[in-house]
Amino acid sequence: MKSTSLKAYTIAYLIFLYAPIALLPLFAFNDSRVIAFPLSGFTTAWFGEMWADEQLFKALKNSLIIALCTAVLATTLGVFAARASTRYRFPGKAGILGLIMLPLVLPEMIVSMSILVILLAIGIPLSLFTIILGHVLLCTPFAVAILTSAFQSLDRSLEEAACDLGETPLSTFRLIILPLVMPGIISSLLISFTISIDEFIVAYFLGGNQTVLSVYIFGQFRFPTRVPAIMSLGTVLVGLSIVLLTIAEYFRRRGIARAGGKDTGGFL
Amino acid sequence: MTTPDEKPNMIEFRDVQKYYGDYHALRGINATIRAGEFFSLLGPSGCGKTTLLRTIAGFEDISSGAVLIDGKDMARVPANARPTNMVFQSYAIFPHLSVEENVGFGLRRDPRPKDQRARAVAEALEMVGLQGYGKRAAHALSGGQRQRVALARALILKPKVLLLDEPLSALDKKMREQMQVELIRLQRQVGITFILVTHDQEEALVMSDRIAVMFEGQIAQLADPETLYRRPNSRKVADFIGTMNFLPAKVLSEGPTIEIEAEGLGRISLAPDQVMEATSGEGASIGFRPETLSILFDGQATSDREAMGTVAEVVYYGDMTYYDMKLDGASVPMRLSMRNVPGRPVLDLGARARIGWSPGAAVLFR
Ligand SMILES: Nc1ncnc2c1ncn2[C@@H]1O[C@H](COP(=O)(O)OP(=O)(O)OP(=O)(O)O)[C@@H](O)[C@H]1O
Ligand SMILES: [Mg+2]
Repeated sequence: MKSTSLKAYTIAYLIFLYAPIALLPLFAFNDSRVIAFPLSGFTTAWFGEMWADEQLFKALKNSLIIALCTAVLATTLGVFAARASTRYRFPGKAGILGLIMLPLVLPEMIVSMSILVILLAIGIPLSLFTIILGHVLLCTPFAVAILTSAFQSLDRSLEEAACDLGETPLSTFRLIILPLVMPGIISSLLISFTISIDEFIVAYFLGGNQTVLSVYIFGQFRFPTRVPAIMSLGTVLVGLSIVLLTIAEYFRRRGIARAGGKDTGGFL
Repeated sequence: MTTPDEKPNMIEFRDVQKYYGDYHALRGINATIRAGEFFSLLGPSGCGKTTLLRTIAGFEDISSGAVLIDGKDMARVPANARPTNMVFQSYAIFPHLSVEENVGFGLRRDPRPKDQRARAVAEALEMVGLQGYGKRAAHALSGGQRQRVALARALILKPKVLLLDEPLSALDKKMREQMQVELIRLQRQVGITFILVTHDQEEALVMSDRIAVMFEGQIAQLADPETLYRRPNSRKVADFIGTMNFLPAKVLSEGPTIEIEAEGLGRISLAPDQVMEATSGEGASIGFRPETLSILFDGQATSDREAMGTVAEVVYYGDMTYYDMKLDGASVPMRLSMRNVPGRPVLDLGARARIGWSPGAAVLFR
């Protein structure tokens, strides 16, 4: 009794979660500008229309630049913070870590508006760079959380052993610590990248005349005739996400296998 | 055993103090460890053994005092430049490297050509009995094998001192005994000074040339195993190393020999080296190891001295029987151990028996 109702719940939940995504390719290949059942026929025209859209590619390029820079910056900051919080004791540590994690719970609206006000006040023009600033602020807490757990699971005596065998702190970091936390670093890069690429509010407020993918897609929805092309874009993005996650999971498992640990499910 | 007196000092502690915040972890350590010696730091959990070992390796800064290795003050020498290598309690095998890469890790800065370094790795693996294991992934090894890898990795650099922090505590009993023998063999073979941290008194007695017994950040006694066992300098050391029976005693007179009156044993005269000045605050007491007392069965000749007693407890171990004997006139029972040889009966509870003992085996604490 209990197990059948749990099963039903699980199935309902999964349908709720994935049905909208399953509809994306359905309408992306549907031969009609109207998004409605019944489906009328098969076409790849919308992909062609999407492919020909120069504005879209410009927005996509912006998004990729921002997401890459954000992922690298947030992860780098995360490595420093995670290392500091797991290895060293310093005054005000708890408070500082709390402040780093705060953007996790602050409303994005408030964060982006306050950044906007400051940027305008000191006269920094809005650009891709300002979006990157905002995204780093949003992504760093995630990076810190992921990397702290990676650094925490590191046995302190491994570092001491390397030092004991003649390595400097720097070479110990390169030879021992970095390879062992690499799965965490890859997770952090990936999560930051994902958060940044579909982020809307900060990109909308701090972008100035630079359009990113999420803002562009939002804009396109005002024109009903553009919707099927957006659907095909969505299909491509879902496909890419699956490929990306598969690659990341592969690296994570390989990392765990090499480190001899047990697979505890992981982040992804 | 070696002839230690001719050997130069390898490690010297000069009034080493260590504070963790307010906690006084090392309280004035003064000791020397000789070159080529198998030295053990023995003590209960939390007494500061690991801390002291880590001050030699350079992982722990000391608050005051000095640590000298081979005559050189180590105050400004970082861990990676000290002539010491360590076998960690967790072994600290690098999980992402193979056995070979682990063992050869310390040779990364070695200027020798690659094939010579590879030969050194192979020799080190052979020394610990792991030939042919070089290509294995480090995480696919058993506890005993990891331990050997850790040993090979530390010894390949030919350090002046090898530091071992409870290297055997993670192994099962059989493996532990086997590794004890191998460690002794290895130490004789390479001739390097070994410093072993352990809380297992048996392990320390079996393996060491000399042992420092530590309590609460201080060295209570530093001596060879036999002295430590036969002439512990305090009741605390006596209790930590094996078992000792204590009977209340009163000092009657002091001269070339010390005359005492012990409960249940009467008047005894002791040589000066049998008297330990221990400030236990419990008054004087005389101590006997269980095997220095014996039950005299019918017809057995009187040993040095005799006393009468009643069996208060019998514990049968197969090869041995342990008795708690209440001596006539004594307030506390004495534990003694008898080998179970054929024809010798095991006494019942409440049986009366003669106890043989010798004043030479006694230690007086006062
Ligand atoms: N980093 C530290 N910070 C604060 N106190 C510490 C630190 N390291 C050790 N101590 C304290 O110093 C004392 C001695 O520690 P140490 O690790 O040397 O003990 P030990 O004799 O090796 O014990 P065990 O047999 O349990 O390993 C302990 O009371 C411990 O709590
Ligand atoms: Mg310890």
